[in-house]
Amino acid sequence: MADIFGQQIKRKLKTKKQNINLRKLFKQKLEYAEVIPDAAVRTQLMHRLARKEFMLFNPARLNIYYLGGILITGITAAVLLFSGSENSVLLNSSTVLIKANQSDTGSYIQIPVEYPVRIKPDNSNLIHKKTIKTRKTTTLPQKSEVQTPKVTESFRDSILTPTGISKSVSKSGLLNKVTTDKNKLQSEFKNDLSIIDPFNSVGCAPLKVRFHNNSASYDSCRWTFGDGGYSNQKDPEWIFDVEGEYKVILDVFGHDGKSLSSSALVAVHPRPQAHFEISPEKAVLPDDEIRFMNYSTNAVQFLWDFGDGTTSEFFEPRHTYSKFSKYNVRLVVLSEWGCADSLTVFNAFSGSEYFIIFPNAFIPNVQGPSGGFYSSKSDEAAQVFHPSFIGVSDYQLKIFSKLGIQIFESNDVKLGWDGYNNGQLCDPGVYIWKVRGKFRNGEPFIKMGDVTLLKN
Amino acid sequence: MMRDQQIIELCAKHDRKAQQVLYDKYSRLLLGICLRYATDKAEAEDILQDSFLKIFFSIKDFTGSGSFIGWLRKVAVNTAITHYHKNLKYRYHVDIDEYVTIEAGVMSFEEDFFTSDELYKVLNELPTGYRMVFNLYAVEGYKHKEIAEMLGIDTNTSKSQYSRAKAVIRDKLEKLGKLRNSYSDNG
Repeated sequence: MADIFGQQIKRKLKTKKQNINLRKLFKQKLEYAEVIPDAAVRTQLMHRLARKEFMLFNPARLNIYYLGGILITGITAAVLLFSGSENSVLLNSSTVLIKANQSDTGSYIQIPVEYPVRIKPDNSNLIHKKTIKTRKTTTLPQKSEVQTPKVTESFRDSILTPTGISKSVSKSGLLNKVTTDKNKLQSEFKNDLSIIDPFNSVGCAPLKVRFHNNSASYDSCRWTFGDGGYSNQKDPEWIFDVEGEYKVILDVFGHDGKSLSSSALVAVHPRPQAHFEISPEKAVLPDDEIRFMNYSTNAVQFLWDFGDGTTSEFFEPRHTYSKFSKYNVRLVVLSEWGCADSLTVFNAFSGSEYFIIFPNAFIPNVQGPSGGFYSSKSDEAAQVFHPSFIGVSDYQLKIFSKLGIQIFESNDVKLGWDGYNNGQLCDPGVYIWKVRGKFRNGEPFIKMGDVTLLKN
Repeated sequence: MMRDQQIIELCAKHDRKAQQVLYDKYSRLLLGICLRYATDKAEAEDILQDSFLKIFFSIKDFTGSGSFIGWLRKVAVNTAITHYHKNLKYRYHVDIDEYVTIEAGVMSFEEDFFTSDELYKVLNELPTGYRMVFNLYAVEGYKHKEIAEMLGIDTNTSKSQYSRAKAVIRDKLEKLGKLRNSYSDNG
């Protein structure tokens, strides 16, 4: 059997016939093929059908479904209405101390605000008092507008001392929160909610903040960090990865289902990033003046350390090094919030390209020796034999005739051979040269080759 | 057993019983069609459900001229095409050039050599575009021009996709055949 199958497979037919066969195969096998669907498909289909037919309004089919629907709608509406009115009286008044950010100075002060606690879910910013619903002003209605720290000081005394919970007000004056409640809740919660470590609430992303729940006698608590995260721990630690201002809310729940809420702001600033490039890319020290291209972001202050003991605070400084060496160039940037970043390029100029190359022919000036000095004019006529080079410090060039007699020597790279020996123009032909020396980075070089002296 | 005509009339009135009878009678055939256009059975069953919803809601438009089965087939195929269009952007597109057309291994296939399960599997594994064109052309018997209109592609695309589909299918069948061959050798 296997052989027959094999032969069938290998049998070659003309394209057209084979096409028909492939079509025929699938058509005959699959055109009326039946596949048993899963039983669940039927049930699901019938449900979908029922739903779809229900949506299709048909007076003839006005039946128990419609009545049920109307009933359910009615009940839902009633429940919504009822619960909506309940929500608004969840908590009574409480006093919350929040921080305020004075935009001009950037310092933090405390403002006591008396308002009925009714925190809106989307209340993103408590910095500005206008966003706080001061609907019910009980004790200090008009004074809540005052923003000076001095007044706040007196408020603090007047409000907090009587209730005996003022201890938590931190000396640093940063984020600090005291929530009091004037009704029964007070007996259940010692409302001493200093929720945020004051030294940590402002910083650069990623910012790690340690929270403290100082409430006493509560059942459970829930922290909502404002970036989508939450925790049920007492003193959670949270890392804010993304810059922004986050309203951190602490809800504490008592045994009888009552709850208190407190919130504070955490400001997460973008982290600056130090970035720069060196121009020219393959600089030659000490010849080139180095330009530093600054690509730092979120930074306002810059401190450059060129690695040779000199520094600069310019945005894009220029610097010339006095000698070749290994230099580590470092840039420290500071953001307007005091966050820092740095970038150090180690051995910044190692990529520099030093080279020395020689031509293989030249045409001496027949009118007389030039002494080997060369210029762009002599170069144009190729009258002096000299190298093209970058970064050469030590240099010794020797030129020999074919017989091996040394006829020229130069210890100055700026002095080439003019084709004369003892005042006599040498014969045209091939001469041997040998050069040895050092580049500025200390790398030695030895090269040799031949050069053809041509006659004009 | 109700006759088709009776079922159709009752279904047009959204009679739940008749709808169930219709489903029980034709779901296997229609799933057989849907499966050819899908990547797996779950997707085929999705198409099947959609097809039946369409059938139940437009059965009143069925004129009675022409075969009922033919009409059902058409609805199923059209639903599969709709499904294809809807899911086009989610599908994994196989670059056409990945498949090298193999014309050298030309061969003929004996019908009984492959089971319909195997043929379904081969179809399911095809790139979606190939599968659509191949099904519509080879099994449903549409012309390339009609297919081009249905799928919103160029006639030449339909043609080239068909020939590429054939090449891929041939390749797959050949592998299947070889596998089975070696199996029977061992056995």
